[in-house]
Amino acid sequence: MKWLSPKQVKYLDFLIAMTEKEIKVRYKMAFLGFLWIFLNPLLQMAVMGFIFHFFVPVKIDNYFLFLFVGLLPWNFFSMTVNKATPVVIFERNLIQKAKFPREILVLSIVLSNLFHFFISFIILLAALVMDKVLSGYSFTQLVQYFLRISLSLGLSVWLGLITSGFSLLFSALNVKYRDVNFILQAFLPLWFYLTPIVYTLNLLPQQFQYIFFLNPFTSIIQLYQVILLNQQVLYPTLTILNLLAGGIIALIGWKVFHSESPYFDDWV
Amino acid sequence: MKKIKKRVAIQLKHATKTYELHHEKPTLAEKVLKRKDKQSFTALKNLTISVREGDRIGIVGSNGSGKTTLLKVIAGISTLTSGFLFTRGKIVSLIDVSAGFHPDMTGTENIFLNGLIVGMSKKDLKEQYESIVSFADIGTFIDAPLYTYSEGMKLRLGFSVAIHASPDILILDEGIAAGDANFQEKLNKKVLKLFSEGKTILVVSHWLEYLEKNCTKFLWINKGKIEKFGGMEVLELYRKSLR
Repeated sequence: MKWLSPKQVKYLDFLIAMTEKEIKVRYKMAFLGFLWIFLNPLLQMAVMGFIFHFFVPVKIDNYFLFLFVGLLPWNFFSMTVNKATPVVIFERNLIQKAKFPREILVLSIVLSNLFHFFISFIILLAALVMDKVLSGYSFTQLVQYFLRISLSLGLSVWLGLITSGFSLLFSALNVKYRDVNFILQAFLPLWFYLTPIVYTLNLLPQQFQYIFFLNPFTSIIQLYQVILLNQQVLYPTLTILNLLAGGIIALIGWKVFHSESPYFDDWV
Repeated sequence: MKKIKKRVAIQLKHATKTYELHHEKPTLAEKVLKRKDKQSFTALKNLTISVREGDRIGIVGSNGSGKTTLLKVIAGISTLTSGFLFTRGKIVSLIDVSAGFHPDMTGTENIFLNGLIVGMSKKDLKEQYESIVSFADIGTFIDAPLYTYSEGMKLRLGFSVAIHASPDILILDEGIAAGDANFQEKLNKKVLKLFSEGKTILVVSHWLEYLEKNCTKFLWINKGKIEKFGGMEVLELYRKSLR
């Protein structure tokens, strides 16, 4: 790696080591170990599907699959911000011990969760392709479908960027204002229902639609549903505005964290 | 010995560090709802000092005089409110050596993670691994998860990693005490060896005889300002002030 200085290589190694630690530690003591990565969203899908299928019926084809496709990226996001928001406080020992880019604390959480997300996601993609093979797609149709779902990998990178933006923003704010974590805990479930994961946009009355312009996750989740399942309706203005808002938030998150992090030690 | 002009290792110019004072942790809700006047506390006031490579500085001063803040600023853990700081080379501090250990990971895994934290490269760590393990002297426990370790073993492992980080500037806060008399002696020897290798060293201690024996220069800090900086006479003056 010639384009990186020795210092940068060291910090990159540190980031990788911290990410490895996050991954190893999480499943070390759990029975079934890594299987939980996939089992967790599967069980969640079963529970949610049960509720929205039988108690509050939502009319969407392949409802369980539809749920799963939305739940995977959302879980990645919510688990990451949940864990990243208080991380600077939790790791105050490290902050007070040595000098290193504080971003590593947050990014290692984002990367380890991204790793988990990709494992589940690849299993999901394999299942989807298998389904198409079994239902008698021709070779050219399969290639087309394959190209189509590869778009979702680019989308996942975007998801990772926005998630790290939010994580950096919340964790930087939480150092000074300790209630940010509590506000987030309260707000996340609401945010979940304000995102079209358990329903499609056209099921909602017109007067609520403006809310989706404020929520950058609307289009991310929708794009997953469109790319993988060809379900859900896309509104071009909404999609573009959402993607733009996501990018701006990511940028703000990185900037705020970067300017606040030299003073973390004063507050922890 | 030939007298060579030594390079500057640490330089501070008009360094000031101010903390905002809070009686409770501030909340976002409070910030939005009401504006409170900020109280502040200045821990370092307009410090200007220059340390050359190979200097061994003993830092003295009463509690709350700003010694630890000064070390934190130099180590890059804390950032100055105003002023200028320059440091040359790798800084390692023997503060909180077992911080960053993870209880679920093995001794070996922790050595690698902690080594990276204190600024060693992966290559250094691989080369030094055997030496780190043998210095820590924790035997077969090295492959066991850290929650099976005693406090003394964790400290030994922490010191062992930090001491192998081959710092250009070493920072010691208060006395270093870890493990039994045997390990203590080994550790002291190793630190003294670093002293003799011409490293730049900053020591904060209330144990004046230790400083007298091992340091070349002395810095007396009082209420965030430099009271005196110089040779042995500074220590004498400080001693007198204590009586």
